[in-house]
Amino acid sequence: MNPILDVQDIHTFIGQYHILQGVSVQVQEGSITALLGRNGAGKTTTLKSIIGLTPPVEGKVIFQGEEIQEMHSFDVASLGIGFVPEHRAIFRDLSVEENLKIAERENGDFDRKRDLIFTLFPDLERLIHLGGANLSGGQQQMLAIARALVPDNHLLLIDEPSEGLAPVLIEKMIAAIQTLSSESTIVLVEQNFLVASQLAEYYVIIEEGQSVKSGKMQDLIKDGETIHRYLGAA
Amino acid sequence: MKINLRKDLPRWLTLLALLAFFIIAARGMETDDWVITLLRGLSVGSVTFLVASGFSLIFGLLDVLNMAHGTLFMLGAYISWTVYVRPDTFVDLLTPVLLLLSGFTLTAIWKKLANKIKQKRNWLAIVRWAGLAVGIAVLVIIFPQYPISSWDVGNYSQSPVTYSYLADQGLINLPVGLPFDGISPIVAVLGLLVSGLLIAFSLSTFDSRTQGGSKITWKDMTAFVILVALGVVTLIFNDPLTAFLTGLDTTWLFLFAIIVGVMVGVVLGIVMEATLIRPLYDRPIYQLMLTLGLSAMGIEAVRAIWGRPEFVMPKPSLFAGTGDGCPATSFADLINNQCSTILLFDSRIRVYNEIFIPLVGILVLVAIWILLQRSRLGMIIRAGVQDREMVEALGINVQRVFNTVFALGVGLAVLGGGLAAPSMGLSNTMGETLTLNALIAMAIGGLTYYPGAALGSLLVGLMQQVIIKYGAIGIPIPFTDIVFKPTPPLVPASTVLLMVIVLLILPNGLLGRKE
Repeated sequence: MNPILDVQDIHTFIGQYHILQGVSVQVQEGSITALLGRNGAGKTTTLKSIIGLTPPVEGKVIFQGEEIQEMHSFDVASLGIGFVPEHRAIFRDLSVEENLKIAERENGDFDRKRDLIFTLFPDLERLIHLGGANLSGGQQQMLAIARALVPDNHLLLIDEPSEGLAPVLIEKMIAAIQTLSSESTIVLVEQNFLVASQLAEYYVIIEEGQSVKSGKMQDLIKDGETIHRYLGAA
Repeated sequence: MKINLRKDLPRWLTLLALLAFFIIAARGMETDDWVITLLRGLSVGSVTFLVASGFSLIFGLLDVLNMAHGTLFMLGAYISWTVYVRPDTFVDLLTPVLLLLSGFTLTAIWKKLANKIKQKRNWLAIVRWAGLAVGIAVLVIIFPQYPISSWDVGNYSQSPVTYSYLADQGLINLPVGLPFDGISPIVAVLGLLVSGLLIAFSLSTFDSRTQGGSKITWKDMTAFVILVALGVVTLIFNDPLTAFLTGLDTTWLFLFAIIVGVMVGVVLGIVMEATLIRPLYDRPIYQLMLTLGLSAMGIEAVRAIWGRPEFVMPKPSLFAGTGDGCPATSFADLINNQCSTILLFDSRIRVYNEIFIPLVGILVLVAIWILLQRSRLGMIIRAGVQDREMVEALGINVQRVFNTVFALGVGLAVLGGGLAAPSMGLSNTMGETLTLNALIAMAIGGLTYYPGAALGSLLVGLMQQVIIKYGAIGIPIPFTDIVFKPTPPLVPASTVLLMVIVLLILPNGLLGRKE
């Protein structure tokens, strides 16, 4: 089967820094793939290179058979790729409702997805008119994910969903992402190996800007040496 | 927004102190003096606001400090003046401008064409520069031969100053339209069209990223066909069109001139952002140099075209009445007699300067507020001010939004220029003054926060007028016999001082928030 997303040996610079020096990721349709690795290994940059925010200078990014590495990120997103950035980048000056509505690609997207979103994140319905700045960290993270659900996306790129969340919220988040994976393919960046191992079916390890190892999560869980070597103590 | 009294205390105290300052200043004046000072402050504040609001929108969303903004304001005044006083020149110019612009409406097609040529990369570079060179060459050859009846800066009796004066006296006699001489109309039309197409194509190829799709459809060409048709129609019906405009009542002509000015501003904004600003988003210093350079070029161009002497655009008839029943004593009188002045609180208030302009300022303030708070574009702007990348990652074409906002900002500045032409008059330096005022207003109010620009503009306007007024009546210094009269240079200095004080207390301005 052809992968829905095929990242082939991409190189990306940020300013003068050669951040990605050959990252390849293959993502199977309907799966959850986790990008693992230490801080600063290039996981976030990989997501940003896929969506086109830090376009790669070399290599290819193929999404559903189409080369997208030279496109503007708004064109990439319009192909059906949703991005949930780290640090809960919601819009502080917009209300919860506006934060969701701004993600509409077609008029009425939000109304169609309303039930799905509020079933997954019931808190948001209560807070719908509140300003984004007044949400708690957990609520902001829920909103950031909910926002990616508004349009019909075939692929969701989620960066560090569990970062800074209380354990109770992490469990809620895991449940939400599992529900999501029936709707769309997911690529996940996750520091917390416990969370990643519960969610993901496949993994790719990125080390110093290069993808060094990939495979099935169930194999990695048994492979204590690899975990120790690339991810530190786990 | 949650109000946190403790955190916002310095802000409230500063606002109270400012209010107290202006109340004390007003109490030192007679009633008629402070009424007129307040209204003039509002008037200057409104014009400043029209410049500052666009400045602030553009800076907030695009991170572009557009140093040419004041020059565009000035250009607005001169363009509106041209349409208002010399409609014949405007009509003559319509055809070539429409034809040249038509090429830029084909951007979608140019992109697709460029995609095809791009297969061979070297080709694109050659085609691009050759296209630009040939396009400009054709323009330089054809345009000077195109007959445009105009004024003559070097000849006093034919200069803008004279035409302005004659128009004010109702004595203006426009020269007879020029015939085509030495160039056939068909060659001229085709030449301008080709030149516009080549320049537009070349400029559009500088964006290296690919765009989806390669099929050229008829829909991509609608705007082009309309513009070319309009260009040809205005050429054929040149004389009747001029006669129609000169026959209009000046109030309607004024409205028309303002609308044309704003349209020119919007188009200028679109072209400027797409061709000059866009390639430099990653290089803010270059952008600053570019806009500064454009500003200097704009001023020189205005000097070359309209001359150095200052002149005033005649007021439209609605605000120019001086006959029976004037000055008006009530608003009913005012409407019936179309007076230029009205007596309120014993002071003689100029209707255009001190009532109409503030009204437009308030109207624009409300309109932009609604746009920002109620429309999807406004939502995107508010989101983009905070996090441009995320907006883009949501699939929103940020380029188009940037383009729209830049055009909107320029449109507002040009509107300000057109409105200011009958009150402040037209001069080569009006743009620089306004740029300074607007920057100070933005700093006082809060750089990227739009209501801050409004408050800052109001304070700048009031401050200047208060100092001007006290320049006439003098400030008695307590316990001495000295009466201090602020001199004219203290007028701009006072606003700078106000800015310094506000920024020392509130580094983000009165309404600005921490970035």
